[in-house]
Amino acid sequence: MSNTLPLTELFASSKGATYQCDTTNRIIIQFGEARVSLRISDFLTFKKRVDSVDIHTMIFNTDDAYDVEIIDAPRTGHLFVLSLCDLIALRDLLAGTRFVLDLNTLLNERIYSSLVY
Amino acid sequence: MKDLVRMRTSLKEEIERILNEQIKMEAHSSAIYLSMAAWCDRNGFDFSAGYFYKQSNEERNHMLKLFNYVSDMGGHAISPEVTNVPQEFDGFRDVFELALQQEIAVSNSINRIVGQARQFNDFATDQFMQWFVKEQIEEEYVARRAVELFDVIGEEGVGRYMIDKAIPKITYGDVEAQ
Ligand SMILES: [Fe+2]
Ligand SMILES: [Fe+2]
Repeated sequence: MSNTLPLTELFASSKGATYQCDTTNRIIIQFGEARVSLRISDFLTFKKRVDSVDIHTMIFNTDDAYDVEIIDAPRTGHLFVLSLCDLIALRDLLAGTRFVLDLNTLLNERIYSSLVY
Repeated sequence: MKDLVRMRTSLKEEIERILNEQIKMEAHSSAIYLSMAAWCDRNGFDFSAGYFYKQSNEERNHMLKLFNYVSDMGGHAISPEVTNVPQEFDGFRDVFELALQQEIAVSNSINRIVGQARQFNDFATDQFMQWFVKEQIEEEYVARRAVELFDVIGEEGVGRYMIDKAIPKITYGDVEAQ
């Protein structure tokens, strides 16, 4: 049955896509080979982690340790190992997703609520 | 599509962020008052030390009040890191002037939160923050009165001793009614 879960695509880019599952209340992130499903609070934490990486240091520090960034997606057991390009692409994907989530909130507030009797 | 963000919490991200900042500010206030208490103890101002210990506790309670609110609304309340706590002060009067400045900074911060809450139509947070608006009237009054005592009594002779004794007696509001 799992492949019939109603997934709504939230945002897509050349590197990946995100979906919302209304049955499990989860956000699914497909990025490169990786696919993780997160509760909304974990998604927001993950986004904060991705956004808080200091890109400047990654670019200008020649030490090998700064070539990749390792970020774990909360409670998925998955570690994202990201190059600078990956990181920027993932940020884009998550920012786009967040925008759609906020847009959905706005729609619920302004339009759909009036339809609930 | 379900609104998962709203289902998690009623707090907008920005509101959650500034409430967490306020949590941090109250924790910082609590820590500053504690170091003021220690300074007063070291310098023989026993009554003022007691006053600052009490203030320090109050600030921690303010922090908890905000913390519980964020948590209860489904938000992520962040246990604050407290840094940059001054341990030395230039003198008896300076301690109280700094305390007043601290309270003014808190009042300004509370006002900003109320402003933001209204901008986001977050009337629950607006209402919740009204307790703090009222509290700051009292906090500022007491802190200002303490500084005034330095001019009213004067620091010469037994002045500082008298001021120290008068500090814990400062109250706000109708004395008759209390
Ligand atoms: Fe306070
Ligand atoms: Fe205060």
